[in-house]
Amino acid sequence: MGDLRDLYQEVILDHSRNPKNFGELEGATHRAEGYNPLCGDQGRSRAPARRRPCLGHQVPWKGCAISTASASLMTEALKGKTVDEALALFRKVHDAVTGQPTDELHGDSGLGKLAVLEGVKQYPLRVKCATLAWHALHNALTGNDATLPLRNERAALERGMRHGREDRHEFVD
Amino acid sequence: VTFEKTTYNELPYKFEAGTPDIAGAIGLGAAVDYLNALDRNAVARYEHELLEYGQEALLSVPGIRIVGTAREKAGLHSFTMDGVHPHDIGTILDHEGIAIRTGHHCAQPVMDKLAGGATARASFGIYNTREDIDRLVDGLHHVRRVFG
Repeated sequence: MGDLRDLYQEVILDHSRNPKNFGELEGATHRAEGYNPLCGDQGRSRAPARRRPCLGHQVPWKGCAISTASASLMTEALKGKTVDEALALFRKVHDAVTGQPTDELHGDSGLGKLAVLEGVKQYPLRVKCATLAWHALHNALTGNDATLPLRNERAALERGMRHGREDRHEFVD
Repeated sequence: VTFEKTTYNELPYKFEAGTPDIAGAIGLGAAVDYLNALDRNAVARYEHELLEYGQEALLSVPGIRIVGTAREKAGLHSFTMDGVHPHDIGTILDHEGIAIRTGHHCAQPVMDKLAGGATARASFGIYNTREDIDRLVDGLHHVRRVFG
């Protein structure tokens, strides 16, 4: 079992106490909900238009320290990124937290601040906590939810709750 | 069975396709024998003692709220800790060799109603002791320190 301090690093604790960029995003063009039926973590990701710099937001996030911090760090990392760059970052984070070897040399994952999330790879049960927001982002950018009318969001979220929506967010490599 | 037609056996065999859960049935038998060898009232008394001791011990930790306060309770406490998600509590306790259950316990509606989401749950059986509960409380103080 890994060192607890690798999991609960100061950066994670800080972001879980004071999550960044939480709130509605005006003019969002992509949106999706993430929900983990096992622990009740849920949140929504927002990102504006394709081919423009992308800015992620979540509202309202309700989750453990890992999922809250991961969502918060995600919003910071997405600033100024294009959709393609955001998707590349999703894959990078996904590989890092699931313990996949990264294609970067010399142990530098290229994740920058997001590298603090790597601690979860020692904790299989917590990997989904770290990836929940990212799966929602991935869905927002690639899935049908991108065109989901706002009035249907509530129903979709409730449907997702009943059917364990999080499974649909699994990214197939 | 063919693509065109399926022939069903009579009841109850039609519902028992494949090898039944033999190990499970033998395990259940062993559990029944084990419980029958014990004085049921003594078991209930002991578990109730642990329950009361556990309640007092848990409530001594700042920010703990016990969920479910019926007079007749089985030997377990569900609880929440202010500002700390149950999964974070579970991971830290796990590190100290203390196993609890965390999350929705496959009962989302009732969890939402009683606790507004997930809870942590410690179960006490005849094989547990007051020392186990003391270790649980020490572990919860550790959780508080991590999340400051």
